[in-house]
Amino acid sequence: MNTLVLSCALVAAGLYGVLTRRDLVAVLASIEVMLGGASLLLVAYAAPGVATAAAGQGYALLVLAVGAAEAAVGIALLVSLIRRGRTRSEDITEVRG
Amino acid sequence: MSVSVTLLWWGLAALTVAGAVAVLLVREMMRLMLGLGVFLVGIAGMYAWYGFGLLGVAEVFVYVGGVLVLFLLAITAMGRDSESRAIVRRFDIGAATVSVGLGAVLVLALGGMLPGTSPVAGATVERTADALLGTLLPQFEIAGVVLLVGLVAALAIVGGGEEK
Repeated sequence: MNTLVLSCALVAAGLYGVLTRRDLVAVLASIEVMLGGASLLLVAYAAPGVATAAAGQGYALLVLAVGAAEAAVGIALLVSLIRRGRTRSEDITEVRG
Repeated sequence: MSVSVTLLWWGLAALTVAGAVAVLLVREMMRLMLGLGVFLVGIAGMYAWYGFGLLGVAEVFVYVGGVLVLFLLAITAMGRDSESRAIVRRFDIGAATVSVGLGAVLVLALGGMLPGTSPVAGATVERTADALLGTLLPQFEIAGVVLLVGLVAALAIVGGGEEK
C-alpha cells in the first residue's frame, strides 16, 4: 500500500508540474517524474511472482525505452525553440518540422 | 522483513520524494536537474530494492547517464546556464485540485485490485530475456518502432530549422 501511495503521489506531483511549469525543460522533467512513478508501480506489483517479475521487468524496460524516446523528441523541440530564442512550453506551437 | 530493509525502503522513498519536490519547486535550472538526478537515483534504488537489479542499472545508464546529460546540454545551449531560471507560476489551486484528485482516484481504484508487494530475486536476466523475446515480443517490436520514429522525428525537428 505504501508503494501504491508513493507511486500515485509521484504521478500527481508530475501532473502538477506539467500543468504549472511553463519552461519546457521543467515540463519535460515533470513528465519524467510521472513516468518514474508509473514504472515504480509496475515493478513493485510485478515483484512477488516469478513469472510476473520477468514480465514486469520487461514492461519496465519498454517504458524506459519509450521515456528515452520522449526525452529525445522533447530536447529536439527545445533545441528548435532555442534557435528562435524561446523556451516556454506555449511557444511549441511555432515549431515546424 | 527486517527493520533495516524497511528503513532502506523509507530512505529511498524519501530520496525519491525529495527529488520530485525539487523538480516541482526549484527555479534555478541546474538545481532542478540535480533534483531530477536525485529522483532518478532514488527510483533506481527502489528497483534494486524490489530485486530488479538489471532495471536499476539500466535506469542509471539510460536516464542519469543519457537523458540527464542531454538535458544539461540543452540548458547549456540556452546560453544563460548560470542565470537560467524556470518560470514558475504562483500556487495554482486548479492544477493542485486536478493533481490531488487524480492521485486519490488512482489510489482508490487500484488499492482494492492489487496484491501485496514484496522484494523478490526471481527476475533474472535470462527470464526477462525469455519474456521479452517470447510473450512480450509484439510489445518489444512496438517499442523498437517507437524509438525509431522518435529518432526520425527528432532529426526532422532539428534539421527542419537548418534549411530555413
